[in-house]
Amino acid sequence: MTAGTPLVAPDARRIGPVTRTDIVRFAGAGGDFNPLHHDPDAARAAGFDDVIAMGQFQAGLLAGYLTDWVGVENLRRLEVRFRAPVRLGDVLELSATVGEAADGLTAVSLVASVGGVVVVSAEASVEAR
Amino acid sequence: MTGIPVGGVVDTVEFTVEAGKIREFARATFTEDPRHAAGELATATHSVVTGHYRDQRGFVARLGLAIERIVVGSVSWEYERPLIAGDRLVATRRVEADTVREGRTGAMRFVTLATSFTDAAGETALVQREVLIERPAS
Repeated sequence: MTAGTPLVAPDARRIGPVTRTDIVRFAGAGGDFNPLHHDPDAARAAGFDDVIAMGQFQAGLLAGYLTDWVGVENLRRLEVRFRAPVRLGDVLELSATVGEAADGLTAVSLVASVGGVVVVSAEASVEAR
Repeated sequence: MTGIPVGGVVDTVEFTVEAGKIREFARATFTEDPRHAAGELATATHSVVTGHYRDQRGFVARLGLAIERIVVGSVSWEYERPLIAGDRLVATRRVEADTVREGRTGAMRFVTLATSFTDAAGETALVQREVLIERPAS
C-alpha cells in the first residue's frame, strides 16, 4: 500500500459448505481436541444436532481474509466476537467495511454470516502506509 | 472462586514456529497469501497452535470453571510483529480479569486470559486475549 491511498475493501469471500473434514483439519492444525468439534455423540450431549466448528476456525477464516488483503505485517489489532455456532453445511460469507483512519491506522470491520445471519464479527486496526 | 488470582500465571509453553505448521494452519483457514504457503510468514492467528502444548481440561479445572458450561465470548490479538518460521517463542498466559455478573438466568463468570508471546531476544511479538464465559448452572 502506498502513502495516502485509502483502503478499499475486497470482494466478499465465500467459504463452504463447511465439512467435517474442514473442522478436523483445523483441530489438527491448532490442537483443539474438544470432542464437541469432532464427536457427534458429544455434540448431541451438549444439545447440538452434530459437531459445530470451533470459534477459532471462524476467527482464522476472517483473519486470513483480512490479511490476504492488507498484509499480515500491517495488522496491529484484531478482536473477534462469537455470535452464533457454525454448523456442518453452513456457507460462510466473509465481508469487510473500511472505517475511520487516524494516526496511520485504519479501522476495519469484518463479519462472517450464514444465510444473512452474522455468526462472527471482528474489529481490526491496520497500519496503512 | 478461582485457584489462580488475577495476575497469576495459568501456564507457560515454549515452542518454535515451524514452516510445516505455518502451511498447515494457513490451509486450515483458507488463507491465500503465498508467503504462508511457502512456510515463511505465519498467519495472524497462528498463536492458536499453542493448543497443542496445553492441557485444556487441566487449566479449566485449575481456574475453578465447569468445562461443560464454558463458552469463549471473544478473542483478540495485539501485534508488534508477525511470527516468522524459526521464531522461538515463550507464551505466558495470565489471568487478567475475573468477574461475576448477574444475568437473567443466574450468575455469569467472565475470565479474561492474556497470553504474551516473547521471542528469543526477549521482545513481545504479540499478546492474545480470550474471554471465557461460564454460563449459570441450570
